[in-house]
Amino acid sequence: MPMTLTQLVVMALLQIVLLLAFVMMLVPLITFAERKVIAYVQVRLGATRTAGGLWGAQAGRTHKSRTLTGGLNGLMWYLGRVPMLSIFRGLPVFIADAVKLLTKEDIVPEGADKAVFILSPAISVISAFTVFSAVAFAPGALFTFPAWFPIVGGLPFNAFLTDINVGLLFILGISSVGVYGIVLGAWASNSKYPLLGGLRSAAQIISYEVPLTLSLLVPVILTGSLNFNEMARRTATEVHWLAIPLLFVGFFIYTTCAFAETNRVPFDLAEAETELVSGFHTEYTGMKFSFYFLAEYANMILVSALAAGFFLGGHYLLPFGFQTFLMKAGETAWFNQPSILFFLGKVLFLLFVFIWVRATLPRYRYDQLMHVGWKYLIPYTLVLIFVAALIRYIA
Amino acid sequence: MAASFLRTLIPFDIYGGMKLTGKYFGKVFIQSNRQKKRTHFTAEYPEVKVKLAPRYRGRLQMIKDEQGEIKCVCCLACEKICPTQVITIEKGKKEGRKTPYPTRYDFEMERCIFCEFCVESCGFDSIILNHQFELAAYNREDFSHGMEGGFQNMFDVTPVGHYSVAEDVQ
Repeated sequence: MPMTLTQLVVMALLQIVLLLAFVMMLVPLITFAERKVIAYVQVRLGATRTAGGLWGAQAGRTHKSRTLTGGLNGLMWYLGRVPMLSIFRGLPVFIADAVKLLTKEDIVPEGADKAVFILSPAISVISAFTVFSAVAFAPGALFTFPAWFPIVGGLPFNAFLTDINVGLLFILGISSVGVYGIVLGAWASNSKYPLLGGLRSAAQIISYEVPLTLSLLVPVILTGSLNFNEMARRTATEVHWLAIPLLFVGFFIYTTCAFAETNRVPFDLAEAETELVSGFHTEYTGMKFSFYFLAEYANMILVSALAAGFFLGGHYLLPFGFQTFLMKAGETAWFNQPSILFFLGKVLFLLFVFIWVRATLPRYRYDQLMHVGWKYLIPYTLVLIFVAALIRYIA
Repeated sequence: MAASFLRTLIPFDIYGGMKLTGKYFGKVFIQSNRQKKRTHFTAEYPEVKVKLAPRYRGRLQMIKDEQGEIKCVCCLACEKICPTQVITIEKGKKEGRKTPYPTRYDFEMERCIFCEFCVESCGFDSIILNHQFELAAYNREDFSHGMEGGFQNMFDVTPVGHYSVAEDVQ
C-alpha cells in the first residue's frame, strides 16, 4: 500500500518512539539484572530492598515501617517467600539508579574543553542509538493498525525502522563513530587518567574492529547479502550443512570481539579501576556520565542483536543454521515461522552471557589484549573467511 | 605440541570457569527464596538475625543462679583486671546470704573494649559477654549500665532497638 508523506512521517515517528523506549527501558533492567546475576554467581542475594528514609522519618529500618519505602520493603520481604518471584525483589532499585544518575551535580572540570566535553557523550549516545534503525527485530509487520486509527489506520507496523540493502555496512559504520565520543571526551577532560583510558580504548576498539568485521564477513559470504532481514533469514534457513560448524566457531570469535568492542569485562581496559581511576569517564558526572552509560549498554544490546541475527538463527527458532533441517517439516509449522519472540529471547540470553562473563573472568592485561586480537583472532577469522568462500564455491 | 596448540585454539579454561559460575548461578537462582536450608550466604539483617558464633563478645551481663540470686561475690577481680576501668563495684551485705553482695555494679560501655578479661578473671562464672550486638545509642547516658533503674539493666539482654530515638518517635 503506498503511503502519503504524512503517513510515512507519523509511522516513522511511532517506530522511533517505540524503539527508543524499548532500548531505554532495557538498559536499566540490564543494570538490575547485572546486580542480581553477579550476586547469584557469588552466592549472594543482591539487591533485595530499596533504601529507607523516603517520605517519613527513619523509614525502611525493618519491613514493619509505615512509610512508603518501608511499605515497599515490606512487600518485597513477603515476596521473598514466593519461589520464583523472589528474584524480582529489589526491582525498584533500577528506578533509584536512574534518579540518582539524573539528579547528580553536573561538574565540568577547570581547563576542560567545554564544547567538546559536552559534545562527546552526545556523539557516543547518538551513534549507539542510530544503529538500531537498521536492526530488524522481526522480518515482517509486528501488527496492523486498525482502520479507525487516525492517519496511519490500516497500515502495517513494521518491526524494523528501515530495510536498507547495506544494513550491515551502515551498522558497522555508525557504531564505529562511537569511539570518537570516547576519545574526544577523554581528551577534552584535561586530566591524565581519562586521556590514558581514552587512548587505550581507541587502540582497543580499532584493533578489534578488524576481527569483528572479518567475522561478520562469514555470514555475508554465506548469504551474499548485506541486508539484515535477508542475512538473518538465509543464515538460519538456507545454509549448506557444512556451514554449521563454521557459524558455530564464527559466533564465538564474534562474541569475543564484541566484548572488546563494547569495553566489557574481560576487555574493559579503558576503565581499569586499579590503574586508571575509571578510564575515559573519570571526570564525567550526572547526565553526561549517564549518556556514556546508556551508550555502553545500548552497544551491548546492538552486538547481541547482531550475534543473534547472523549466528544464532535470527528470527527463527534454532541457531547456527540448524533451522535448515527443520524447514523440511513444512513452512507453515509454528517452529518454522519467524517471530520477534525468538529474536528477543536470543538477545536477552546474550545479554545474560555478557553479565555471566563479567562475573567469571578477570581482566586481561593490555599486551595480552593486543596479543589476542592481532595474533589469534585476525588469523582465525581469515581462515574462517577462506573456509566460508570454499563452502560458497561448493554449494 | 598438538595438544598445546589445541589448548591455545580452544579456551578450555574459560569453559571451566563459566561452567563453575553457571552452576552456582543456577543453584542460587532456583532457590533464592527464603527457606530452611539456604544456598546463599546473605543475611537479611533487620528481619532475620544472624546466628553468632558461641565465642562472640557482646555486652557485659550479670548472671543469676537457679534461686534468682546474683552469683557475684564482690571479689573485685574483674574491676582490677579491666584495662579501661569501666567496672565499679560497691561491696555490701544482704540478709541471709553468707557471701558479700554487690549493692552497686556499674558498667560504662562507652569505654569498654570488649576484651573479655573480666569474664576470664571471674572465678564464680557470675558475668558473661552476651550475644547482643545492636549497641548503638543516641545519648551518652544510655551506655551506663547498672543494677538498678529503668532499662539500665545488667541482667537481661536489652530489647532490640530500645536505645534508638526512632522508637520514641513512632
